[in-house]
Amino acid sequence: MSSMNHDQGSAGDKYWRSLDHLADTPEFQAIVQREFPEHASEMTHPITRRNFLSLMGASLAFAGLAGCRRPVEKIIPYVVKPEEIVPGVAQRFATAMPFGTTAYGLVVTTHEGRPTKVDGHPGHPGSLGAAHAFMQASILDLYDPDRSKTVLKEGKESSWPDFVSAWRDLYAAYIKDQGAGLAVLSGSFVSPTLARLKAEFLKAFPRARWATYEPVSDENIYEGLRLATGATLQPVYRYDRANVILSLESDFLYTGTDSISAARGFSDGRRIKTEQDSMNRLYVAESTFTVTGSAADHRLRLPGSHVAALALAVARALTAEGAVVEGMSGVDVPSGIALEHEWIQAVARDLVRARGAGIIVAGYQQPPEVHALVYAMNRALQNEGSTIIYREIKDAALPNRSDLAALVNDMNSANVTSLVILGGNPAYDAPADLNFEAALSNVRTAIHFSTHADETSRLCLWHVPQSHFLESWGDVRAADGTLSVVQPMVDPLFGAHSSIELLSLLTTGTEVSGYESVRATWSLYLKAANFEHDWRRVLHDGLLADSALPAVSPKVNGAAIAGALKALMAAVSLPGLDNMEIVFRPSASTFDGRYANNGWLQELPDPITKVAWDNVALISATTAKELKLSQGLRDGQNHQPMLRLQYQGREIDMPIWIQPGQADYTVTVALGYGRRAAGRIGDGVGVNTYALRTSTAPYFDGGLRVARLDRTYPIASVQDHGGLETETLASNEIARRAPTVLREASLEQYRKNPDFASNDVVLPGFKGLKDKDGKPVSIYDAHAYDKGYQWGMSIDLNACIGCNACTVACQSENNIPVVGKEQVLMGREMHWIRLDRYYKGSVDEPDVAFQPVACQHCENAPCEQVCPVAATVHDKEGLNVMVYNRCVGTRYCANNCPYKVRRFNFLEFNPGTSGFMQEDSPEILKLVRNPDVTVRMRGVMEKCTYCVQRISSARIAAKKEGREIRDGEVVTACQQTCPTQAIVFGNLNDPESRVARIKQANRDYELLAELNVRPRTSYLARLRNPNPDLEQPVAG
Amino acid sequence: MDEAPLIMGNPTFASITQQISEVVENKPPKSWYGAFAAASAGLLLLLIAVSYLIWEGTGIWGITSPVGWGLAIVNFVFWVGIGHAGTLISAILFLLRQRWRTSINRFAEAMTIFAVICALMFPGIHVGRIWVTYWFAPVPNQMNMWPNFRSPLLWDFFAVGTYFTVSLLFWYVGLIPDIASLRDRAKTRSKQIVYGILSLGWSGGNKQWRHYEMAYLILAGLSTPLVLSVHSIVSTDFATSILPGWHTTIFPPYFVAGAIFSGFAMVMTLAVIARKIYKMENIITMYHLENMAKIMMVTGMMVGYAYSCEFFIAWYSGNVYERFAFINRAFGPYWWSYFSMIFCNVVVPQIFWSRKLRTSIPVLFAASILINVGMWFERFVIIVTLARDYLPSSWEYYSPTVWDWFTFIGSFGLFFTLFLLFLRYVPMIAAAEVKGVLPQADPHRHNGKH
Amino acid sequence: MSETKQVAAAGPSIVLAEFDGAAALFSAAEKLRDAGYREFDCHSPFPIHGMDRAMGIKRSPLAFIVFACAFSAVFFMIWLTYYVGAVDYKLVISGKPFFSYQAYAPPIFAMGVLTGAITAVLGMMALNRLPRLHHSLFRSKNFERVTTDGFFVSVQSDDPQYDEARVKAFLASIGGKNVEVLGDE
Repeated sequence: MSSMNHDQGSAGDKYWRSLDHLADTPEFQAIVQREFPEHASEMTHPITRRNFLSLMGASLAFAGLAGCRRPVEKIIPYVVKPEEIVPGVAQRFATAMPFGTTAYGLVVTTHEGRPTKVDGHPGHPGSLGAAHAFMQASILDLYDPDRSKTVLKEGKESSWPDFVSAWRDLYAAYIKDQGAGLAVLSGSFVSPTLARLKAEFLKAFPRARWATYEPVSDENIYEGLRLATGATLQPVYRYDRANVILSLESDFLYTGTDSISAARGFSDGRRIKTEQDSMNRLYVAESTFTVTGSAADHRLRLPGSHVAALALAVARALTAEGAVVEGMSGVDVPSGIALEHEWIQAVARDLVRARGAGIIVAGYQQPPEVHALVYAMNRALQNEGSTIIYREIKDAALPNRSDLAALVNDMNSANVTSLVILGGNPAYDAPADLNFEAALSNVRTAIHFSTHADETSRLCLWHVPQSHFLESWGDVRAADGTLSVVQPMVDPLFGAHSSIELLSLLTTGTEVSGYESVRATWSLYLKAANFEHDWRRVLHDGLLADSALPAVSPKVNGAAIAGALKALMAAVSLPGLDNMEIVFRPSASTFDGRYANNGWLQELPDPITKVAWDNVALISATTAKELKLSQGLRDGQNHQPMLRLQYQGREIDMPIWIQPGQADYTVTVALGYGRRAAGRIGDGVGVNTYALRTSTAPYFDGGLRVARLDRTYPIASVQDHGGLETETLASNEIARRAPTVLREASLEQYRKNPDFASNDVVLPGFKGLKDKDGKPVSIYDAHAYDKGYQWGMSIDLNACIGCNACTVACQSENNIPVVGKEQVLMGREMHWIRLDRYYKGSVDEPDVAFQPVACQHCENAPCEQVCPVAATVHDKEGLNVMVYNRCVGTRYCANNCPYKVRRFNFLEFNPGTSGFMQEDSPEILKLVRNPDVTVRMRGVMEKCTYCVQRISSARIAAKKEGREIRDGEVVTACQQTCPTQAIVFGNLNDPESRVARIKQANRDYELLAELNVRPRTSYLARLRNPNPDLEQPVAG
Repeated sequence: MDEAPLIMGNPTFASITQQISEVVENKPPKSWYGAFAAASAGLLLLLIAVSYLIWEGTGIWGITSPVGWGLAIVNFVFWVGIGHAGTLISAILFLLRQRWRTSINRFAEAMTIFAVICALMFPGIHVGRIWVTYWFAPVPNQMNMWPNFRSPLLWDFFAVGTYFTVSLLFWYVGLIPDIASLRDRAKTRSKQIVYGILSLGWSGGNKQWRHYEMAYLILAGLSTPLVLSVHSIVSTDFATSILPGWHTTIFPPYFVAGAIFSGFAMVMTLAVIARKIYKMENIITMYHLENMAKIMMVTGMMVGYAYSCEFFIAWYSGNVYERFAFINRAFGPYWWSYFSMIFCNVVVPQIFWSRKLRTSIPVLFAASILINVGMWFERFVIIVTLARDYLPSSWEYYSPTVWDWFTFIGSFGLFFTLFLLFLRYVPMIAAAEVKGVLPQADPHRHNGKH
Repeated sequence: MSETKQVAAAGPSIVLAEFDGAAALFSAAEKLRDAGYREFDCHSPFPIHGMDRAMGIKRSPLAFIVFACAFSAVFFMIWLTYYVGAVDYKLVISGKPFFSYQAYAPPIFAMGVLTGAITAVLGMMALNRLPRLHHSLFRSKNFERVTTDGFFVSVQSDDPQYDEARVKAFLASIGGKNVEVLGDE
């Protein structure tokens, strides 16, 4: 940990300008020396175009520097035909992003052949036009300067041909004895081509071993369903059809598979227009506060290990209510653990009432037994087939921990002579008890295929660069089975190869282009007759219509469930100080560690804790009190006390974070930090919690002991800087203000008082002082905004789940720099749209709500009058425009902004922009920038522009066709990516526009309306739908 | 007031000129060199701090969001405030025919000019893009852009700029007769030429005196509303914002009172030092010091009243944000600065009720220093009100970095370097005016022989 | 000032007489005035009150010049702010009127004061024929004391009733000491 402190210290200096500022820090040079001895020097100097090219290879010349470089194979633009590339006019292509055992359809914006922006594919069942943070940030990974650029042999630069010839030798040998001693360790995938190649590989090498491992996956769900039904099934949830939802520690809105369609469906079930409408009700039982938990109408906190007991209790209650659940015969709820019986009763009653229109969903971290029981419950409630559809799984390699264990055994017993690691980073994320590193040393020829030369590559004989999904051919199935072709947006920037290409090389010993392999596979799906035509259509649409797999209606095997449950219930224990529960969960920023080198994601605060650039050990206030720990506030920064976590003979030291709503005696830690070879961004960020994680209890387990250390560690949090909750004066004021800032009511209260949102005012006598349009009176006559377009925005707080997707989308669209931990510690993060998170209620059972805040584009903008040089003024369409090149940088506007949405370039966050004194950034990182948006220089103020560049391109398009801009034609980046469609943007001057109509709703209110700044952005008050049967509902 | 002799040991016209001019003509005392070394070291520190600032960007300071202004603006307001006493003494007391001012107005005015130089520096360097600050000026340019005359910062630009120019002119006009006497006393050709040019060929004829006195009167008349307006305008940087704790009408009068308060404290500090080093006790008498002490006590009570009034209005307005802003000032994370301010500005001046204390040099000196500390804290308290405004989500805590402090200390280096150069090369007391208040200067005292 | 003696006389020649003290100078001035002299001046280290009347000269017109200039500056600024805000660059700023005269008052006032102050100083110098590097008076060694403790009367040759001998005699008669003639020799 001390070493970590040191890392962070230097990390501070490293990060404080921008992700690409580090090109010449010793740390990076060290990495370079290891990886590219040949070209180290170029990499460490500000990169001129010339040596950049020589470095990246001449083929890169067109990658985006010179523009227009599309792969030689035909790929079909989504809107514009490829023949007509108009420089400056963006083209959009459809593709798909493989993720675990599902896929998200994408529409990628490219400028002159250079992909710059990723968005959801409206027609794709996995993305529905929206994109979550990982999808948005994947574009930055494409241009990660730390991606490996050459084949490495024993860490020294080699080449693809060398590798190919080396493999041919091995191939000849293994073919002879049917692949004995040959093994493949792959990540999970759902891809017809990969599946075909896998089958062919195993046919070519019958005695070869193939293991599939994912550190975070739905393995338990598949196991559970197999346990209950004997079949391998993919559950597909239809939350839009559900009236009552019970989540058993499932974060289905955020980290769950297919979170976008889940979030969309869930919010559709809550999107109500008037007080007459009804909305769904969500019960959540979880150990750690999740995004889903914050959306709950009733949230129950309990240790992860007690969820099974709760599930069983619910099942019993359901049976009692008449929905007979199979698979509980002879299994009893373990005595001695306290369960909220009233709560359980209410939930059961609700679920039974909503028979056929309810969902019970368990999180992937829950053991298979729970999923089996949940299956039985849904079946008993007749939800199966209506709100939950089970589909067979095709073309998939599903993760399996026991396969990995078996593989490791073989490796240890030297039965594996050659191991091909197809993606993934097992040396970093494999369960600690398997000790993969040691096992790997027994393998003669280890081949690691990955995008980065990472922890695993270091231990392998060969490292082969893997191409990004945006630069390679492939195919993939969505959760419902829908087929998509993954088509490249550019040729591999670093000449890397796709897993398809590698696998076909492994299988056949000869090189086959990914394009050919994929087309070969698709001859199965497309009729030979008009293959070319259909192929082009698939590429154009981004998916194969009606390729979803059929629903199946499996049989339930009650006995098997009961048997398994018995064993599980026996193991349930009571956590306490001497027997704490450790909970592992994927990080909101780095997921399982794969995004560790992505600056956008590292700087993206955790939705609940608002901590960026680190992982922390979450504990409840009660537990903290008993451990005599408290948030460490000093000079407005969190210097958090350190805790030593001891679990099964292993230990790590981590800073604590007191998390309201955390289950007592549980410690939740995020995976995916503490990387050692991630790259200039990810190295040494946070603590590697895989060090504690075992194959037997991958998600939670008791038996954790903690000891407090007399060290502190600085944690960068973008909200409540300095843990305001520790200061009574502040926390009382926040508690008093929050209800007026983020207005909320229960459905009941809303029906009683439909105008609660607009009537809720702060200043006395304010209500009397209104002019004809209902706005507060002004001593000046307001300027008329009744002509042309008048842009405005509405944000539905009832839909917003606080998932941060908008923040990253905005960062990608508007070239917003990453500033690094040091600057975030000082409160200088640059995000144009932030998600304010407010706690309400007790510290143990709080209610969390989110509020996205960007520039409100006030008509009486206070920022404008104070600018001495008129660098921020109003345009005739009501935008509060910021004139970067006029800005002197007095910061007066930011001071005078009541919403504090203005961001200042305190330092050269975009290297090279001030034109003097500062070093340049690696060219490659400039490729990710949106050419339609100015890159701001040091000393300049910036803020949300309502995506003015999109407005003007829409205006140009409309002018060309001699028409008005249509409603919905201008879509802001945040609106476009929002999984719940909480944000609506449009022309207020058109009474028929969606935004104008939404603003008529009685839940509509303006933030800080009493200041009479007349914001153009307004909010729809939040609603909760507590169960009347339960006293003190969570929501006020 | 005129009963008490303004100048001790009934000197002659010649002895006055001798005493004042020899300071400039002879080598300065050792102590001057020591002081000058210290001051120029501070100036060097300032140069380093500012160079690094321009090189690296304002991010080297502690400023952040939402505290967009930090020590730079605190120091700006602080120094502008210091300046005011000088103008007050030279202009307002002149109009009020307060003849005792003649002993102190010269270096009070010098102090004004140097303080305003320090003040002007801060808004200049605190902006993000120093190289385009000239955009403040309404000059036609290639961008066809004009400044925004609604912005209090632009008002500052005009007001403080004017204030500096007028103070400089006022000071120079006052200097002309004294430079003339240096010219006439000059032994070397070079001095004759330099002083000859600077004195514009002054011959002390009444036909010159009548225009001279009229000009002086007009300058005084113009400076008086100006000095009152300048700090009022500076206060509008805060008063015209919409922020709780800033948006208040009491600021202008209370800033002016505070300015005079701190200004007199600074004059006191300097006067005590100067009269000691240069043995001017007979010209800058206890009578002058005592008068200044009385003014400090009055203005001190004015700001004290303002502090309490702010609190009352915050409560009385019923504005929840305003209320919290003030409670937070006193009991929030910055309580220490608030109570240092109260102690130095409200408690300390009360000692001047006692004649014994307000006539004791050490007490006056200590008090004057404390008061300036307090006035600095007043500005700090106002600035950090930014830390907690409307939306709790954006609340922050501002802590200055070492570079903030270097710049602040450096500004004192600049100030004292200039002031010591002034003591060395310019008559520190307005000899002609002092002569004018000697008894024998009255043409109707026919027995007026010395 | 020996060197300056060689310099050719600039302007009229002057009769210079010294008086001891402000009072003496004052009465001398009255006597000269009553004797009908116009082009004479009384030099003293500090302004003497009532001397204008004693010498029979009018009040300084400086005030009117300053007043005129200051107010033209004010009107210029009013025009400028109007032109900038409401004519040349109509920008909607915080929803305020294009000509927000209330907010324009401070710079307008400041420019008035600035112009006034500058005019006052330049006007004073102009009326005093300053700056000048030399004046006949400076030829007199004795006159160097004028800025210390010397009180002098100077009568210039361009006075209508100037006659060097009579002037010298008259000055001596009213108590003038070391009377000397400066100027062309």
